[in-house]
Amino acid sequence: MSETVLHQHKWIDVVKYRWVWFGLSLLLVVPGVVAMIYSMVTYPTHFPVKVGIDFTGGTITQYSVTKDVPNSEIETLRTKLIKEGIENPVIQVLKTNNAISKAEKLNATTVISVKTAFKSNDKTSEQKIANVIKADYPSAELVQVSSIGPSLGKELFTNSLYALGLAFLGIVVYLSFRFQLDYAVIALVSLAHDALFVLGFFSILGIFFDVHIDALFITAVLTVIGFSNHDTIVVFDRIRENCRFLAKKASFPEIVNASVNQTLARSINTSLTTLITLCALYIFGGETTKEFVLAMIVGIAIGTYSSIFFASTLLDWWRERQEKAKGAAA
Amino acid sequence: MNNKKLMFWMIIALVIAAAFVIIKKPTKLGLDLVGGSRIVLEAQTTETIAKITPDMMSSLQFAIENRVNALGVAETVVQQNGEKRLLVEIPNISDPAKAKEFLGETAELEFKKPLDGKYGTTGWAPTGLTGKDVKKALISTNPGGQWVVSLEFNDKGTKKFGELTSKMVGQSMAIFFNGEMQSAPTIQEPILGGHAQISGGDTGFAYEEAKKMVDLLNAGALPVPAKIIEESLVGPTLGADSIAKSKTAGMIGIGLVMLFMLLYYRLPGAIADVALLIYSVLVFAVFKIVPVTLTLAGIAGFILSIGMAVDANILIFERTKEELKAGRTLFTAINAGFDRAFTSIFDSNMTTIITCVILYFLGTSIIKGFALTLIIGVLISMFTAITVTKNFMHLLFGAGQLKHPGWFGIKESEIGKAYEAKETKKEKAKFGILD
Repeated sequence: MSETVLHQHKWIDVVKYRWVWFGLSLLLVVPGVVAMIYSMVTYPTHFPVKVGIDFTGGTITQYSVTKDVPNSEIETLRTKLIKEGIENPVIQVLKTNNAISKAEKLNATTVISVKTAFKSNDKTSEQKIANVIKADYPSAELVQVSSIGPSLGKELFTNSLYALGLAFLGIVVYLSFRFQLDYAVIALVSLAHDALFVLGFFSILGIFFDVHIDALFITAVLTVIGFSNHDTIVVFDRIRENCRFLAKKASFPEIVNASVNQTLARSINTSLTTLITLCALYIFGGETTKEFVLAMIVGIAIGTYSSIFFASTLLDWWRERQEKAKGAAA
Repeated sequence: MNNKKLMFWMIIALVIAAAFVIIKKPTKLGLDLVGGSRIVLEAQTTETIAKITPDMMSSLQFAIENRVNALGVAETVVQQNGEKRLLVEIPNISDPAKAKEFLGETAELEFKKPLDGKYGTTGWAPTGLTGKDVKKALISTNPGGQWVVSLEFNDKGTKKFGELTSKMVGQSMAIFFNGEMQSAPTIQEPILGGHAQISGGDTGFAYEEAKKMVDLLNAGALPVPAKIIEESLVGPTLGADSIAKSKTAGMIGIGLVMLFMLLYYRLPGAIADVALLIYSVLVFAVFKIVPVTLTLAGIAGFILSIGMAVDANILIFERTKEELKAGRTLFTAINAGFDRAFTSIFDSNMTTIITCVILYFLGTSIIKGFALTLIIGVLISMFTAITVTKNFMHLLFGAGQLKHPGWFGIKESEIGKAYEAKETKKEKAKFGILD
């Protein structure tokens, strides 16, 4: 009976190829870690990722215009702004998809984004920026301004770190309460694996595509942690259940394999439905949340991988070491 | 069976009630969707004010409320945010720069006397007469056709001003606004009527300048200086665009998820789809009852929760399929599917709730919005994906046998060959297994 029970589900033998999965995990995480170290050494902020004004403080003013803005014009704009007394303006030109124009019949195709230092109770620089842009682009219309004081930015950053730490702690406490401690620790290692991958991914995006993270990014990472934990729990729950029923008939690696395969359809389907909604958000949703959604897409994909291949094999590897240690002691 | 029918009608009643709420109550939309200005002010300690007390904060809030009201925009919000911060929200504002200018100014009006007793060439000393003694300010013109600010003192102010001007005949009296001298007229005679005029010195006031001073004086000075530490402004175009895009994304997301469930899980999938629609209606009703102010991040949280809401159904159906393949009767398989999947569903939702609670308490308002919608979503999804789906499945299949395995997306040949867990007697009883 146990033969058929354990083998009839076996599409993937996760335990047998565990060094493949560990190697793949390393391959996924290492480039990001390298990028993060590179960033910490070279960026003036010494952050592992490029951080936006949410954390550093600053002001971003965005205007939509109806024609393309070539690089040469960006330089002219910059010179003009400096002439007006705006210090160190950083100008970016963003392409929008045409939904804005559909909603408002504006034909706005381009957004000019000007980043400046934060000035509290400042009345004139906003006006100056408006004057400079409107002089060159009469069709320009104010899209949004966001401005964060540097002290608030620091506070946001520390709060985000607290949030991350607390979330990890809360999950460990809950898991060790519901499962044994080693399940909890391994779930945590696999969460760290996912969080590192997402951070690394955005660190690389920061280096090559100048992507900056904002406060919402931390939210995305936390959500991903919660979700990836979802998946891991389902697999572990099944391992626990199978241990109760099959402990005498099958070895632990066999149980792990069977459990992973029994929950495989569920793991993939859930991630699929979530990825479907996220992709809909990414493609059709608002501009402001694009990077936030991308972080979640990346995180959920890696979370699914880690709960199927990484967490379960790690648990098996750990149990095997424990057994060996016990054997050696006896 | 009666219990199940009762439950069914209760669910229907709940949906009707929710639909009623959705129609009747307006949706609260965040500033990033309607467009507007959101400003966070922080009270600053000074040499004289060492600590910001709650009393100071309430009077600061009062003064800021007055100023915001003077802008003449509807549905503004001024609320305290932590110990020394005020959050100001001004929707649909046409002139954001003006609002900003308005909020940060201390608007301190001071009358000062010359140190040298004549023209103030060596500096100015306070007289004790300030903006607090002003009852009303008006904009008017002087005989020279320049814009001036006319002041009307209150009783105390009238008395003080009368005494001062009596003593200071022949001297200059300087009027300072926000620490800047506006004018320093020489007092010709005692002024006892309680009226004074501020002219803009030699150059005179521009109309806007005088108007702003009048508005600020009427709204009252800030008890403590306040600094803008955060500002976000969303133009109405972006807001409208965000709403339109979120709607599209939500519809497409929910549609694709429903299609997937139907194709993969067949009949149970169709039931899960109905449960998902009920889920959306209930969540929206709760959003309106709480009320949750919907922001772009909040909507993202809601759309994300759609994907997660079917997670419970996927767990249950996968389990039911397994039980069916193991050769159980339909009734038993459905029950076992629900009961066995429950611990997984509960555990995994708990961890999402843990992270969301942390986000809610530590995050900024944008993050709070996301966390709140996700928590509401997860809680309601536990109800719809478990209670509602289970009820519908029982009503539809009753205690019948599995006649059409295809409805469940399994093949006849697969039945009876699958993994079968050996339950103890107690567990059999718990899962309602009848064999």
